[in-house]
Amino acid sequence: MTAAATAWRPPRSCDDYWSEFKQCKSLWNYFHNYYTFGMAPACQQWKADYKACREWEKQSSAAAKELLQQSERARVAEQSKFAPVWQLRQKPPDDWHLPLNHNKPQDP
Amino acid sequence: MEQGGEQQRSDEDYGYGLFPKRKEGKYKKGSLGESLFTFHNKCQLMLHLALETSPYAKFLLGAMKQSGCTAYRDRHFSCEDCDGTVSGGFDAATSQIVLCQNNVHRQSHMNRVVTHELIHAFDHCRAHVDWFNNLKHLACSEIRAANLSGDCSFGNELSRLNFGFKRHHQECVRDRALRSVLAVRKVSPEDAKKVVDEVFDSCFNDLAPFGRIPHSNNDVKFASRDFQNRNRYYSNL
Repeated sequence: MTAAATAWRPPRSCDDYWSEFKQCKSLWNYFHNYYTFGMAPACQQWKADYKACREWEKQSSAAAKELLQQSERARVAEQSKFAPVWQLRQKPPDDWHLPLNHNKPQDP
Repeated sequence: MEQGGEQQRSDEDYGYGLFPKRKEGKYKKGSLGESLFTFHNKCQLMLHLALETSPYAKFLLGAMKQSGCTAYRDRHFSCEDCDGTVSGGFDAATSQIVLCQNNVHRQSHMNRVVTHELIHAFDHCRAHVDWFNNLKHLACSEIRAANLSGDCSFGNELSRLNFGFKRHHQECVRDRALRSVLAVRKVSPEDAKKVVDEVFDSCFNDLAPFGRIPHSNNDVKFASRDFQNRNRYYSNL
């Protein structure tokens, strides 16, 4: 069985990297990052990712691809560094869509 | 409500005492008495507006729909009178979000309560959350809800006369999660604090489905963009 190889592209569009950079640098974000974490936000990585993204678009450079992948993998790793408290479901709860029964007496 | 080996525990043990109308209200649903003597209609209108216009609520509803838990206003939301000063709750036994019509009077408050409870519903939908038996699970969802709903925004804390700034958000999240756990479970403040501390790092950093702590509607817009893009994102890592 073969699958048609989908061409690699950056995980986000280059415009998305730029807008994340601009948002990161904003006064609003600075204020809220300090309020949440007690420090200034680190924004340079977004700018580096944007540059790598543009380079990939122009030259399909392997180095740019590697840089972007490493950067995004680091972001994912950052969000997954703590073990979850609960087990994720494979499917939604069985009773989510069941109708309410107002006439049923409440169980003790 | 618990079944089987836990029959000796009552509704009071799970916080149902705060929501007395979960069983039988003073006024029959849809009656004139309900219309004239409660805030039911106002609550329904504010709820409708929240679901239609709040970017936080709309984003969570979309994420839940993707997970197979489409939330319908008539089935999954209920405006009721509640005890005390509680604003809302999530009843896992019926998969319903309860909104306290006697305690929520401003649209901004309704938006925030709906968001908070939707986060509980989202957790219920995507994970095996043992709401009734596992205090860590309950504490975790409360930490997430306080963190991601805007409960602990700078503005909201100011209005409560809590004037902290540097890293204050986290203190607020801890404090509000603790209060929420104590409101619905008969545990000592020391035990509740211990549980919140145990799960704090894991749950404060669990930002699903937002991927970031949203401090504004603009942040939610970015979160929504990332959510729409998630297939491309993960397949190109």
